[in-house]
Amino acid sequence: MRRLSDVAGRVLPFIYAAIFIVVVWQLVVTVTNPHPSLLPPPWTVAKGFYSLILSGELFIHAGVSLGRVTSAWLLSAAIAIPLGLAMGRSRRMERLVDPVVELFRPISPLAWIPLAILWFGISESGKIFIVFIGTFFPTLLSTVAGVKSIDPVMIHAGQVLGCNDPASMFRRVVLPAALPSIVVGLRIAFGTGWAAIIAAELVAARSGLGYLIANGMEILRADQVLVGMIVIGVLGVFFDAFFRYLNRRFSWES
Amino acid sequence: MDTTQIGSTPGKPLSIERVMKIYQSRSGAAVEALRQFDLEIAAGEFVVVVGPSGCGKSTLLYMLAGFSKPTQGSLKVSGEPITGPDIDRGMVFQSYALFPWLSVIGNVEFGLERKGVPRGDRRLLAMEYLKMVGLQEFADKHVTELSGGMKQRTAIARAFATEPSIIFMDEPFGALDALTRRFLQQELLRIWKEHRKTIVFITHSVPEAIFLADRIVVMTARPGRIKCEIQVGLPHPREITSDAFRELERRIYSELDEELSKTMDQEGGPAAD
Repeated sequence: MRRLSDVAGRVLPFIYAAIFIVVVWQLVVTVTNPHPSLLPPPWTVAKGFYSLILSGELFIHAGVSLGRVTSAWLLSAAIAIPLGLAMGRSRRMERLVDPVVELFRPISPLAWIPLAILWFGISESGKIFIVFIGTFFPTLLSTVAGVKSIDPVMIHAGQVLGCNDPASMFRRVVLPAALPSIVVGLRIAFGTGWAAIIAAELVAARSGLGYLIANGMEILRADQVLVGMIVIGVLGVFFDAFFRYLNRRFSWES
Repeated sequence: MDTTQIGSTPGKPLSIERVMKIYQSRSGAAVEALRQFDLEIAAGEFVVVVGPSGCGKSTLLYMLAGFSKPTQGSLKVSGEPITGPDIDRGMVFQSYALFPWLSVIGNVEFGLERKGVPRGDRRLLAMEYLKMVGLQEFADKHVTELSGGMKQRTAIARAFATEPSIIFMDEPFGALDALTRRFLQQELLRIWKEHRKTIVFITHSVPEAIFLADRIVVMTARPGRIKCEIQVGLPHPREITSDAFRELERRIYSELDEELSKTMDQEGGPAAD
């Protein structure tokens, strides 16, 4: 029973927030009476939502965006985590790579969109590239921080218990000790990746939630734009909840 | 392999010859931690090192474990120079250093796995060592659920499980309350008598040193040298309130007081005024 009330305790605030938003939205529409192609009332958007679900379009666009983010996110993790482990353990490696990272990091993934279009056109690789840029740095920096915060006594304990080569030390001690911090990085990265893919799809795509929004603007269908935005928000909350669960699962302090 | 037969590897002797250690402090100054340090430790001997803080006790232990190298001199196990950490030299840390991502028995199995003990025997063997410290009921608990005393018993089981010939203990009971500490001292003596490993034990506590040691090494203030060695020679179990115990305590405290006042002079403490 505690489980159930826990879930309710976490979900209820979101329901209240949704009701609040819908009420304010309806009030604004009633008071200012805007043209429906600029701000349609909630009910029109709900109908648009329903028809996009019926046609299956919504699932396709959401699935395409999610697929792009997930593949780019996994790809960046596959590079950022090993690199971060090496940077966290080796001063030389850190001094070599860190300046490069520091120069690239302030450049928003969105600033890469023009180059991505020049290089890749509107192919999938372009979108993967943008999301990769957005997810790489949070994962890398959290991994480095996780490794550097390992208590040296853990390394010593590993050494006297037979981890004499770097490979076994990484696998048995460094990686598990840094894992909670790595999972935090992966969570933040997924969030920035989710934001980046929408931006990339706004500019250069024929599918995805970002495209759905951009297309809605072009055909003067503000309800379609709003449906896209709502789905982005709701999915974002779901992913974050999932990663928070992983965070708790991979946190060694009780 | 008969998994119930534990602790069959005997201890090995250690020799420390003319060891000097200079390290760079954070401000860049050279600090002489140890000077002309000579010590022979017999196989199976229980040696306790006491000294004022900063006297280089931990530096010594870290060199013996192979974590750092002496600036001069040599450290040997059975005549073989120490070149780095080895699973044959175990260690128990003040902060326990248990791996929080593993269960209690997972921690004990860690070194067994590294030693190449087959999976099937590993758990049985680890369980024997958990029994040795009375934690068999807690095998599958998470280490974060344990009290300090139980954590250190797990760490002791983990250190003995790989059957090292020497075990270094760096103020292992320093963070525990007095009663737990007393209990673990008795436990450690019982285990040591069964297994006869060579033990080098560091502490700030003079009664702890007398209670445990075959021989007590009193160190000088920095740079650390041997001030005196005391063969304890009292039969176990040693009674803290006995006259012989008290007499030893008085003697060691007076040696340490001398060194403490030197430290105060160096650091410009109360004695310097």
